[in-house]
Amino acid sequence: MSPAFGSFPVGADYLALQPMAVVACTPLAILFVDLFLTGSGNLRRGVAVGIAIVGLVFAGLIEAGQYPHDYAAFGGAFIQGGFSIVFSEIVIVATVATLLLSAGVGRTDQVAGTTALLLWSASGAMLMSGAASLMTVFLGLELLSLGLYCLCAISARSTAREAALKYLILSSMASGFLLYGSALLFGATGSVTFAALAAAPMTPLFALGAGLFLVGIAFKLSLVPFHAWTPDVYEGAPLPVTAFMSVVTKAGTLAVFARFAYAALPAGHAGAILIPIWVAAALSMLIGNLAALAQTDMKRLLAYSGIAQVGYIVAAFAGQTALGLRYALLYLAGYMFMNLGAFAVVELMSRDGDAVVGLPRFAGLAYRRPWLAAAMTLFLIGLAGLPPTIGFTGKILILAVTTSAGYAWLAGVLIAGTAISAYVYFKIVRAMFVHADPAHVRDERSRSSLPWLAVGVCAVLTFALGLFPLTPSNVLPLVK
Amino acid sequence: MIVTALVLAPILVGLALYALPRRDPGIAKGAAATLAALTFALAAFGSQVPDASVRWLSRPFAASFHLGFGPISYWLVLLLALVTFSALLVVRGPRTREIAAQLLVLQGAMNGLFLAKDVLLFALFWDLMLLPVFLVLVAGGTHGRTAWKYLLYNLAGGLALLLATAAFGVVSGTTDVIGSPTASAGIGASWGAWIFAGFAVAFLIKTPVFPFHTWMPETYADLPPPVVAVVSAVQSKAGLYGFLVIGVPFLGPEMAQARPLMFVLGLGALLYGAFVALAERDAKRVVAYSSLSHLGLILLAVFSGSSLAYAGALVYIIAHGLFSAALFIVLGAVEGREETRDLQRLGGLGARNPQLAGALMLAALAALGLPGLAGFAGEILILTGLYRAGFGWPAVIALLPIVLAAAYMLRVFQSIMNGPEHPDLPERRDLTWLEGLAVAPLVAAFVWLGIDPAGVIAAVMAGGAHVAGVR
Repeated sequence: MSPAFGSFPVGADYLALQPMAVVACTPLAILFVDLFLTGSGNLRRGVAVGIAIVGLVFAGLIEAGQYPHDYAAFGGAFIQGGFSIVFSEIVIVATVATLLLSAGVGRTDQVAGTTALLLWSASGAMLMSGAASLMTVFLGLELLSLGLYCLCAISARSTAREAALKYLILSSMASGFLLYGSALLFGATGSVTFAALAAAPMTPLFALGAGLFLVGIAFKLSLVPFHAWTPDVYEGAPLPVTAFMSVVTKAGTLAVFARFAYAALPAGHAGAILIPIWVAAALSMLIGNLAALAQTDMKRLLAYSGIAQVGYIVAAFAGQTALGLRYALLYLAGYMFMNLGAFAVVELMSRDGDAVVGLPRFAGLAYRRPWLAAAMTLFLIGLAGLPPTIGFTGKILILAVTTSAGYAWLAGVLIAGTAISAYVYFKIVRAMFVHADPAHVRDERSRSSLPWLAVGVCAVLTFALGLFPLTPSNVLPLVK
Repeated sequence: MIVTALVLAPILVGLALYALPRRDPGIAKGAAATLAALTFALAAFGSQVPDASVRWLSRPFAASFHLGFGPISYWLVLLLALVTFSALLVVRGPRTREIAAQLLVLQGAMNGLFLAKDVLLFALFWDLMLLPVFLVLVAGGTHGRTAWKYLLYNLAGGLALLLATAAFGVVSGTTDVIGSPTASAGIGASWGAWIFAGFAVAFLIKTPVFPFHTWMPETYADLPPPVVAVVSAVQSKAGLYGFLVIGVPFLGPEMAQARPLMFVLGLGALLYGAFVALAERDAKRVVAYSSLSHLGLILLAVFSGSSLAYAGALVYIIAHGLFSAALFIVLGAVEGREETRDLQRLGGLGARNPQLAGALMLAALAALGLPGLAGFAGEILILTGLYRAGFGWPAVIALLPIVLAAAYMLRVFQSIMNGPEHPDLPERRDLTWLEGLAVAPLVAAFVWLGIDPAGVIAAVMAGGAHVAGVR
């Protein structure tokens, strides 16, 4: 940034926003083209999803091209660099997978709208991954959430509207916490940029502000004890939207949390301020898995499992080590593939992606649809942390990094949570391999075969990442 | 190359068997048995092959996909191939294809476990080998409880192992240490006890040792005979193998500290297993509890710190693998014919089925420690080793269950083969040639090992400088 322009944005600032802008503008093209397609056939669905995927891939390529350069745009409000790019790529991949799932779901005249909303939400998550000021964090969060409120309510079921309302109210409350915390932080430091926060002296006002900010984050991450909304919302929302929320919302919020925890807290005080978060992560691993034990509906089960899995990821941040951040990102990517893979399998088992898929539907799946059962088994043993998957490798890396950072107790809780989770995931594996009378099992198939593509890619990557746990090196979150 | 093939070929072929038609299980069975025989030949002639190693992790600790033969693992891989071959020959029933496939996957995973020269890779295969057994139990249908008990017990052990492995890696900087003469001996006082505790929990559950054994009798009773033959013969040795290759070289001081506790557990298992075996009515459970008893003796040897006892432990590990596989296969043949394994309902089979009776007799004699058969060679080496290392009383107490072994093994034989013929039992034919072909190599091996165990002993003594760190 040249001094002559002061803090006025320059061309490079807009360049940093380019990938996000591509994702945010693609929906305009989708909606425009959709105006001319009045038929009800697959063409209309295909065009909407196709344009969206092209836009996302293009944005992903731009991101990849920017990878080696760190750049603080808009006076440090948005920082494009290794950290934000890795998170954005995760968001992009998850959104593409979601689009594959959503292609056959819902009414044809709604597809363009839902696709557009998904992309706008994704652009919000991308903004969050680069956000380095309290204002941009809030902007990204609201952009992410606004689309999701509509998407939750899009189904005609009454549970969908209930879910949307619940999500709206609780999410607004979380935003309220976040905003109040931001206001106090601004009051304590006189600035909204993370760079200024890190340099500020420690005062009670600052601690209170940071605490409220973290409560808002914990809400969004659905860490225990702020998790109660998650299963209801996941259950009510259409399946692709649930899949999207389970990865993209978490990725965006984790990016904000990581940047805040690593770079925005005054050195020497960060450890004390963050202790409640580690406790919340430990509780999430235990309570998330315990609550999942009793679930038979797949969406609720995966909601609770997601609560526990985010606990594992947050545990990797303990001690704010550089290595911990890399392994958190690795596990997040692994979680994305395992989780989206599982959702894709569920999608392939339901006619319209909207029906309830319960445990009984899995009975004897291994004998009716062996490939589907094999893929699901891989995803489930991965989520349970067993080899040969990224779940196993990622977990051992998190264990090692938390232990060496001096948080051996978190590693112990992680193991305890994993032990509980074995029953959760193997309940489904067992159902698939039990011989069941086909006459008693509802065997539905998805209208679209695109989810197969998601299943295949996720399965390959779940396996391959476990053998080759590649982690990006240049990912330390910067604030200026 | 060969070591990699020993791990991957069974797993890949096992998975590929699912592509074969279910109606014609003979092909799957034949292909699987051929592969098992091939792995035996490969392992027998390939012990001098170089290791295969590919870097896996470099941070926070170094780890590799490092596979290679060690002095102990050579024998265990051979044992596993032999037992898998025999087990595959006697698979039958509507699930033949699935069981054959899972047996091969199990063989591949356990080959990986024994050939792993990296503790993290060891932990990977440790967890992996649970899955085929769980799936066999699950597909068996009515035994939901058994499958859960097997999985949750062993997975709890596996997770303790994982945590201990992570801590081991962080402390020592690398997990690529198994069988490496240059690796640091000793982890250090502050972490050693915790790391040892994690490994010990996993190994004791897997063996199993009283009081961690409650999953075992049910699992053995519910598994189909070919699978239980492999699980009892080889999978149950994974924990003892772990103590020998990870515990002895790297956690020697902790092993010595834990010796009193382990001796109590081992002697407890010896006595408890023997007394319950005396009282059981279910033939398979008698053998299951006899395993508990025998493995307790090996646990004593592993914690004795005496290289003579280590040699005895290896001989007895192999011997037990051979005769318990033979016992389960023969008992499976009996159950397949008479549709019961209740000792009070069976009887008088010996008169019409001389070959069946002969096979059971040989296996039972090996199990009860008749001199000249492999069981005796192992027992006498362990007891001598214990005594020479100064553990006189444990050696004396360990003698009692050996006497009891004669009682419960002969009781099994008598109740099935001797006495009046029971008219309500279905009349079937004697040992088929396939069953004979399955039992014969096992019998030949334990006769040979009983007469000439020197090859096995030499392997331990040669590698003894490293394996037997203490004495």
